[in-house]
Amino acid sequence: MSKRITIDPITRIEGHLRIDVEVDDNAVSNAWASCTMWRGIEKILRGRDPRDAWLFTQRFCGVCTTVHAMASVRAVEDALQLEVPLNAQLIRNLILIAHALHDHIVHFYQLSALDWVDVMQIPNADPERTEKLAESLSPWTRNSRNEFKAAQDRVKAVAASGQLGIFMNGYWGHPAMHLSPDVNLLAFSHYIQALEYQRKALQVVGILGSKTPHIQNLTVGGVANAIDLDSATALNADKLEHIRELLSDVVRFINEVYVVDVCAVAAMYPEWFKIGGGVKNYLAVPDLPLDSAGSSYDLPGGYILNGDLAGTRPFKTASDKMFRDSVTEDVTHAYYEGGKPLHPWKGETEPEFTGWNGDKKYSWVKAPRFNGQPMQVGPLAQVLVGFAQGHPLTVKHATAAIQKIQAVGGIKVTPDMLHSTLGRHGARAIRASMLAELAQKHLQLLTDNIAKGDYTVFNQPEFPNHEVEGVGTHEAPRGTLSHWIVIEDAKIKNYQAVVPSTWNASPRDLSGAHGPYEASLLHTPLARPEEPLEVLRTVHSFDPCMACACHTFDPTGREIAKVKVL
Amino acid sequence: MKILIGGIGNVLLGDDGVGPYVARLLEARYEFEDGVEIDDLGTPALDLIDRISGKDAVILIDSIDTDVAPGTVVLYRKADIMRQRPAVRMDPHAPALVDASLSAELFGVAPADILLVGIKAESFETGCSLTAIVSASLDDVIGIVLAELDQFHVQYRLRENPAEVGIWWTPVETLDSTLAR
Repeated sequence: MSKRITIDPITRIEGHLRIDVEVDDNAVSNAWASCTMWRGIEKILRGRDPRDAWLFTQRFCGVCTTVHAMASVRAVEDALQLEVPLNAQLIRNLILIAHALHDHIVHFYQLSALDWVDVMQIPNADPERTEKLAESLSPWTRNSRNEFKAAQDRVKAVAASGQLGIFMNGYWGHPAMHLSPDVNLLAFSHYIQALEYQRKALQVVGILGSKTPHIQNLTVGGVANAIDLDSATALNADKLEHIRELLSDVVRFINEVYVVDVCAVAAMYPEWFKIGGGVKNYLAVPDLPLDSAGSSYDLPGGYILNGDLAGTRPFKTASDKMFRDSVTEDVTHAYYEGGKPLHPWKGETEPEFTGWNGDKKYSWVKAPRFNGQPMQVGPLAQVLVGFAQGHPLTVKHATAAIQKIQAVGGIKVTPDMLHSTLGRHGARAIRASMLAELAQKHLQLLTDNIAKGDYTVFNQPEFPNHEVEGVGTHEAPRGTLSHWIVIEDAKIKNYQAVVPSTWNASPRDLSGAHGPYEASLLHTPLARPEEPLEVLRTVHSFDPCMACACHTFDPTGREIAKVKVL
Repeated sequence: MKILIGGIGNVLLGDDGVGPYVARLLEARYEFEDGVEIDDLGTPALDLIDRISGKDAVILIDSIDTDVAPGTVVLYRKADIMRQRPAVRMDPHAPALVDASLSAELFGVAPADILLVGIKAESFETGCSLTAIVSASLDDVIGIVLAELDQFHVQYRLRENPAEVGIWWTPVETLDSTLAR
């Protein structure tokens, strides 16, 4: 007898990810991912000046502000075939890297760590033993018995008060949790410390972007940062040095704490290398341009079909013809009018709400397809595409992480095991350590270029009389982001954003093929279906971000998820 | 005294933009003593922890959706917020005021006072303007924020020359007059 489980975070303005799974013999037999709200924010952009679009797009989402701003200016620049001065590229790159490092730390510690760490086991840990264990894993100087004791005391105080606060909803004592108390304490103390380092990463965004959460320094054609090594208000030697110090702390946290914790968790939950795979088509675009024209990049792009790493195909540029010609959106199972899949430049968004029906329409998310195929995007795609192409930086960091997992867990890790829930976490850590290395490189490139006397940051855009189309991409923390713009008479005629979570949270398409979230949940074992921790582990491993933009406070306390078993 | 006055909401979704709107109005009309930070926070999620931590007091302005008439202003104190359950989080960006406050408390960095000035929204339809009924509440909301500052004996005064209000998200039909270049 199959059971149906619905996980649906309830908010009055419903704009969140809902997951439905069917469970037979304590394993998932079918799955549906849906988004519960339509916003059509792109419509606000029609008729506006393309140079203002980024101000609006950075309000799509409260946390991914920066990435939507960047994709927007890139889309206009692509339409105008406008180059961007090297300083501007490097300043943008540094902002994107710092944002991504912040985002990856927040994702692991604030969103997913407590899927694996049982906080209520922490009172049973021994801080001295934890210190010894930590010393064997990492040179991190804050792995001291005093820090561990302080972290343990916080948990003891919470447990003793009976007011669990932020821990109220955890699945503590769940049979799928099996870290030792000492490892739980180790990870939890890093959960507390992470707050300081994610803030430092954000400070870098703030220094270069003038402000967070909404950066102010972008402009179509470059950036608005004044560069002058002798001026107190401009981007000067002191500010560059401050950025260097902040990055140095963040980089150390990534390498000595985040990557190590992910490897340790992976080593202790090896069964999760076999769970959560799903769609083995991967997509990533090149990013971090190294010149004005965007002809070479520090991060590679391309695609992989059916897990065939040897058959990977690269994208040469961030708006590669192969990419721009191959994307369509299918609305067969989404609440929109329309028939055949459409290219984003021709995209229509006419709502047709019919209510949730798993056989027909069930989501506000369209189904993006690449040459008709569902694609998984995100750090796993980024790392696999780079690894398959022999990209030296990817190979170096991936190899180091795999060796670490093998050393800690005494298990053999093969590339095939990366098509999994843990593969996604591992790949995000690998990507973060790559970005950490590139942060310092790009700061040096910027410093060197300024030292040469190049202070240029902006090329003037010019709008033609005829209609032009452009695509702006960014390989964001959650994967491939693309903004598609049509400009006519210097005004926006059409605008579509295909965001990473649209690829991953995609519903089924015309052929019935599952989207990546859906496919990843099939066959997942559930120890206690009424406490679907295993579903959350896999969904969280993608780092979902849905219609995340509307934040009304609901004082009646309905801001909780409902887990319903039928 | 370190105080954050933060407007929360999405300026692209009708009345949800009321928080940022109020922050911009306060910024344009008043000068505040050092230590008072005013910001349009947009729609922050768990990074709200960073913004509220280490402050002595936090005043947030946000739209609310509760059982009162549109335009009604309802005040919530720290204890009201701390009583809520945190979310079972599917994505990192779900509304996070409750979670951020509870986390800040766990980390020992929560402000002693939190005031949430809630304005009941009439419409969350996609668009860049406030409804008339919510607009009519703006002066009351500003009065409440200033009265809270008075409680803390924080100094502020009307600007002699009010700054331009930084509301760039005007509806497209008024574009030609506001964004003319």
